Amino acid sequence: MKRIVTALTALLLLLLTAAQFPAAAQDDAIAKTNLKVGDVAPDFTLLANDWKPVKLSDFRGKKNVILAFYVLAFTGG
Amino acid sequence: MAKLEASDTVVFGISIDSPAANAAFAKQIGVTFPLLSDMNRKVLTAYGILKPYDVQGDKYEWAQRTTIVVDKDGNIQHVEQGDGAVNPNSAVAICTGLHKPKGQ
Repeated sequence: MKRIVTALTALLLLLLTAAQFPAAAQDDAIAKTNLKVGDVAPDFTLLANDWKPVKLSDFRGKKNVILAFYVLAFTGG
Repeated sequence: MAKLEASDTVVFGISIDSPAANAAFAKQIGVTFPLLSDMNRKVLTAYGILKPYDVQGDKYEWAQRTTIVVDKDGNIQHVEQGDGAVNPNSAVAICTGLHKPKGQ
């Protein structure tokens, strides 16, 4: 009986641990942008991590801009 | 990054995180370029890169990992999506190329 209880407890712990680290199930399909090379990049204003607004068109005529879209902060990639 | 600064290029990270979360993230990974907050997903929607994710049966919409290079005229020069977009080499090469005076 004791063995069974231990085994069940272990199983329960295992299941709980697995539930703590869910792999975000992803659709492997890529959400393909409708934008093409040569298109005008849609303008935007967004708040930076210092809470100051950044406007894409402010860089026109001055800088090339690399936009690196990432899924979520504190996750790889 | 030095290569990019020399080629008149600025870099922005963009996600749906809040500025506060991005500030903490920037500090943790020591990133030197600004991270922008698209909390209402307006840019992700405009750029067509909002992607559905499923976490334990709940549905979320976050960014599709994408790198886009915009030149000084505001035109798109390069689009890279999926896991390849993690590697910045091609974006860097393009910006260094954009900087070269014509005829070289």
